[in-house]
Amino acid sequence: MTAPAFRTAERRARPARPPVPRLRAVLMEQIRAAGLALRGTALIVAALVALVTLVAGLQSLSMGVVRNFYEWPTLLPGLMGVLLPVAMWARDERSGQGYLWTLPVDRRQHAFTKVFAGWVWLMAGIALFALWRPVLTLASGGSVLPPETLHVLASQVALAGPLDQTTLRTVPWAPGPLIWFVPFTAATASYLLGSALVLGSRRPLRWVIGTVLAYAILSVASDAAGAQLRVGWVADAPGGLLHLLVESRYGLDALLTARTGTLSTTMTLTTGERAMVWRAVPDLADWRIATVLWTGVGLLALWAAASRHREQRRA
Amino acid sequence: MIYTDPRIGDYAVATHGLSKRYGRESALHEVDLRVPEGAVYVLVGVNGAGKSTLFKVLMNLERPDAGTAEVFGLDTGRDGPGVRAQVGYVPERQDAPYRSMTCARLLQHAAAFYPEWDHAYADHLTRALGVRPQARIGGLSKGQTRRLQLVLALAYRPPLLLLDEPTDGLDPVVRRRALTLLAEHLADAPTTVVISTHHIDELESLADHVGVLRDGHLVAQMAREELQRTVRSYQLEVPDGWEAPRELQATGLRRSSAGRDVRCTVVGDEREVTRRLADAGARVRQVSKLALEDAALAFLPEDPS
Repeated sequence: MTAPAFRTAERRARPARPPVPRLRAVLMEQIRAAGLALRGTALIVAALVALVTLVAGLQSLSMGVVRNFYEWPTLLPGLMGVLLPVAMWARDERSGQGYLWTLPVDRRQHAFTKVFAGWVWLMAGIALFALWRPVLTLASGGSVLPPETLHVLASQVALAGPLDQTTLRTVPWAPGPLIWFVPFTAATASYLLGSALVLGSRRPLRWVIGTVLAYAILSVASDAAGAQLRVGWVADAPGGLLHLLVESRYGLDALLTARTGTLSTTMTLTTGERAMVWRAVPDLADWRIATVLWTGVGLLALWAAASRHREQRRA
Repeated sequence: MIYTDPRIGDYAVATHGLSKRYGRESALHEVDLRVPEGAVYVLVGVNGAGKSTLFKVLMNLERPDAGTAEVFGLDTGRDGPGVRAQVGYVPERQDAPYRSMTCARLLQHAAAFYPEWDHAYADHLTRALGVRPQARIGGLSKGQTRRLQLVLALAYRPPLLLLDEPTDGLDPVVRRRALTLLAEHLADAPTTVVISTHHIDELESLADHVGVLRDGHLVAQMAREELQRTVRSYQLEVPDGWEAPRELQATGLRRSSAGRDVRCTVVGDEREVTRRLADAGARVRQVSKLALEDAALAFLPEDPS
C-alpha cells in the first residue's frame, strides 16, 4: 500500500511563516468554547433555580410566607464559583500533552485566558442570580432594600432554647448598595481558588478529600494529645484554625456572605414567635478586606497553578 | 552512528545534542536531528525508542535535559508559541479533546488559533477522510479521532508537519486515503514532514530522508538514496563454520543462512564490504538493493528484547 509519487521540487520553496493568533481572537474563542462546555451545567442550575422558585412561590401563595432578603441562600454564588472550574476543566487533559497546550499560544497565558472565559460566564450567571433573588423576595412581599430591622443580642448569651425578647435589641441596618456586590466578589474569589486547585493538580478531588481527612485525623490527634498533656490550646488548635479560616472577621464567611451567614440564626422566642437573631451587626468593611485578602490569595494560587503549565523555557 | 549531513539549503528542524531522561531511562541521548526544508523525513524506531519524546520536545511540550532544538530557526525552548504556529501536529496518543463538542465545532475552535486556517480545505479534508461534522467528539472511535486529528493538523497548511504514527488506528481504506491526501498536500504546499511510523512501506514513494532512533540514540540519518546505496543485501557462498568479519558485525549485519549459502544485510560501501567479505573467505554471489523498510530495519536490533 503506497501513496502516489509527487513533485519534490515545489516543496523546497520556503513558505511564509504563519503568525500566532491575536490575544483578542483567543479570548473570544475561549469565551465561546467555555459557553458551550458549560451548557449542561447551566441547564442543571436552571432546573434547580426553577424548582426553588416553584417551592417558594407555592409557600408564599398557600401559607403567606414572606421572605426577607437575607434568608436566601447566600452561599450559592461561592459554591457556584468553586464548582465551575470543575465543569470547565473536567473533560480537558490538563497535563502537558493536552490539546490546549499544543495550540500556538503561550501556555500560561492560555490558562489565564481560559480561566477568564469561565469567569465571564460565571459573572453572567451571578448577575441572573442577583436579579432572581430580589424578584423572588419582592414577589413574596418581603423587603429587598435596607434599612432592615435586625434583632441583635444585647449581650453574649448562649443561643439555645426559647430566647427572651428582653435579650434582644432592635437595630436598623442600612448596608447600602455595596451589599449587591457580595455575590459577585464571593463567586470571583472562590472561582479563582477553585481554578487554582483544578489547574494546579491532576486529581483535585483527591486533594479535597485528603485535606478533609487530614483535618479529621489532626482533630482527633490533637484532642487526644491535648487531653494527655493537659494543654488546652493543643486540643483547640484544629478548631481554632477552622474558625480562623471560616468564621473570623476576615474568614470565608466574611468573603462569601459578608458574615450574614454566621452572624445570624433563626431562633424561637419565649413568645413562641420565630425570629432571625443576630449576634452582631455585619460590617461591610470586614467584607471589603476579606474580599481583597481572599481574591489576592486566589490570584496568587492561580498564578502558581498556571505556572505549572508554562512554556518549557531553558534557563 | 551512520550519519550524513544532508546540506540541502536550510534545515526545517535541527537539534543539537538533545537529551531527555525520565528517571533512569534515557529517552533521547545527544540527538542531532537535521531535517532539510521540504524533506519528508521518516523517523524509524521500535516502541520506546524516543520518537514521540522527540516530537514533544519539538512542540515544547517537554523540556530537554540538555541540548537545543530549532524549527525554522526558532528555538523551541524560547519561542514555543511561534514554533507551534509553524507545526501541524498529530500526537501519538489518540485522546480526543473537548469531548462535548461536535467535530465541526472543534474545527471552528481550532480555526480561531490559526489565522491562516483554510476553511475550504478543512471542508475538503473532512469529506475526504469521512469525518462526520455533527458527531460528538466523545463518541468517536480511535480511528475517527485519528482522522479528525489529521484534519486539524493539515487544514491551515503549516510549513512543518510532525506526524507521530498518523495512520495508527486507521482501517486500510482510510489509511490509503490519508496517505493520498498527504501526498496531494505536499504537492500543493511547500511543506516539510517528519513522520514516525511502523509502516515504512507505506511511505516508499514519499520519503526522501530517513532517521533511525534506537534506545534514544539517532543511529542513522541520511538521504533515502544514500541509505539504499549504503545498506545492501549480499548473497554469499561461505565455507563451513564461516564467521563474518568482526568489523562487519559492528555495522548492523543481519544474517540468514541455509547450508553454505548465506544472505546478509550489511551497512557500508559496497566495494569495501565486498573486499572484506572476500578477505574473510566468503564468495559474494550477488549484491542487491533493499526496499526502504528493509534498509532502515538494518539499523534496528533483530531481537526486540
